Amino acid sequence: MTRSLQACWVSFSQFAATFGGFQMFTLRLLPYLPRAILRPRLITEQIYSLGALSLVLIMFGGFFVGTVLALQSYSTLLEFGQVDALGAFASEALVRELGPVVTALLFAGRAGSAVASEVGLMRATNQLAAMELMAVDPLQRVIVPRFIAGVVSVPLLAAIFCTMGVLGAYLVGVHQLGVDAGAFWSHIQDRVDLFDDVGSGLFKSFVFGVSASLMGVYEGYYAAPNAGGVSRAATRTVVITSVWILLFDFVLTGMTMPGV
Amino acid sequence: MLSHKKPPNIIEIQDVRYSRGKRAIFDGLNMNFPRGAVSAVMGPSGTGKTTLLNLITGQLVPDDGAVLFDGKVVCPCSRHGLYNTRRQIGVLFQDGALLTDLNVFENVAFPLREHTRLPEQLIRQIVLMRLNSVGLRAAWQRMPSELSGGMARRVGLARALVMDPKLIIYDEPFTGLDPIAVGVILRLIRQTNDVLGITSIVVTHDVAEAEMLADLIFLISEGKVVASGSPLDMQQKASSMVRQFMQGLADGPVPFHYPGTSYADQLQTMSRT
Repeated sequence: MTRSLQACWVSFSQFAATFGGFQMFTLRLLPYLPRAILRPRLITEQIYSLGALSLVLIMFGGFFVGTVLALQSYSTLLEFGQVDALGAFASEALVRELGPVVTALLFAGRAGSAVASEVGLMRATNQLAAMELMAVDPLQRVIVPRFIAGVVSVPLLAAIFCTMGVLGAYLVGVHQLGVDAGAFWSHIQDRVDLFDDVGSGLFKSFVFGVSASLMGVYEGYYAAPNAGGVSRAATRTVVITSVWILLFDFVLTGMTMPGV
Repeated sequence: MLSHKKPPNIIEIQDVRYSRGKRAIFDGLNMNFPRGAVSAVMGPSGTGKTTLLNLITGQLVPDDGAVLFDGKVVCPCSRHGLYNTRRQIGVLFQDGALLTDLNVFENVAFPLREHTRLPEQLIRQIVLMRLNSVGLRAAWQRMPSELSGGMARRVGLARALVMDPKLIIYDEPFTGLDPIAVGVILRLIRQTNDVLGITSIVVTHDVAEAEMLADLIFLISEGKVVASGSPLDMQQKASSMVRQFMQGLADGPVPFHYPGTSYADQLQTMSRT
């Protein structure tokens, strides 16, 4: 009994220390954010590497999520005689929910883990130490541009994911299942609200972008300087970010859903 | 009239104590590195040579005592002050520690781009001059992954020199290099020190290279300097510790066997379990 209590206490202490360390790291980054904007080239390079290079995956994912959504919802809508609402149904699901969540999960797997490994490897190969000794702050030169790039990229990628999803739903719904094209688009225009739906989706993407980027740079920066440490940092980034995204999604959906 | 005479020692380590956990790494360490000389810091593995470098560059803070650079205390308490000190110190890491996403030219230009607003043409001239001095001007477009160990260290040296530091610290510069590369690095360290009039500290356990290169050798063990002097003085020291290290003897004050219970006791204990 005492041993179990001790183990619980140790686990709790470790969790509290990690959480505290994470908060301190976040606070340390804040003063660098305004200064980072003075060097936009560093940020655009990272937007290319984290965002633009994730485009194919995001477009592919968005398109097939849209097609599956159309196929799955068609039979149910047909039962209620509402197949014309297929476009609105798919669009709302994509814009409010699937777009931000799936994009963030894919981003965490593709870019978040890449950031954690890259920064972890820089730690392991003394590149961060070399910067420190050249009087260059690695937080400003390496960490902040990657963080900002992630925060900017995720909402943009989510928008592209949703666009591809709607296109996929259109191709399946209109060209394969015979839904009227005019009805498909007009229902979208009627149902999807710029502020309530697109706005809440973008807000979610922003929060998920902050989570994924922050976790990637944090895990990489504090990775143990060896092969195991780098691989653990990449894995932890994906796992913890995924849990955060799903948790935040529940909270944010509760906050932004009209009538809840 | 006030005189602004520079202190004779560029680095002074005054009664430094530093512990990691319960283990004391340095227990009252005193060292003076004279300006303009090449000093070698030697000692068995695990004696704290790299810790000493970290104390000099302000990456670690001594528990007690002080580290002075050019007469001023190296103190990580102010980031601005610490970075000002570091701009005057070049460090060459064991593996060069080049930034892997930049090519050779950009690696050497990195400190200039970060700390100065020099025009691009001047940066190009300075970088090519530094690369020429280490014999790698023609390799300016290569990526770090395309360089041999010796070449990476030479690029690291060019980068360490690009801000015209007062002091250069070399961390194990000869480890893992072939004899030609060792010869090149030896020549570069000596030449750089003498031609540019800077001070060099070389951390190494390569006795032959240290004897060829250094004006002054420090041998540290168990947290203290056990011997110091010119290479000739060190060869003539009678201390068993110095003799073991300088002659590379397998057993002596640093024992061959890791300390523990006797062999017979361990066999008995293990046969009982």
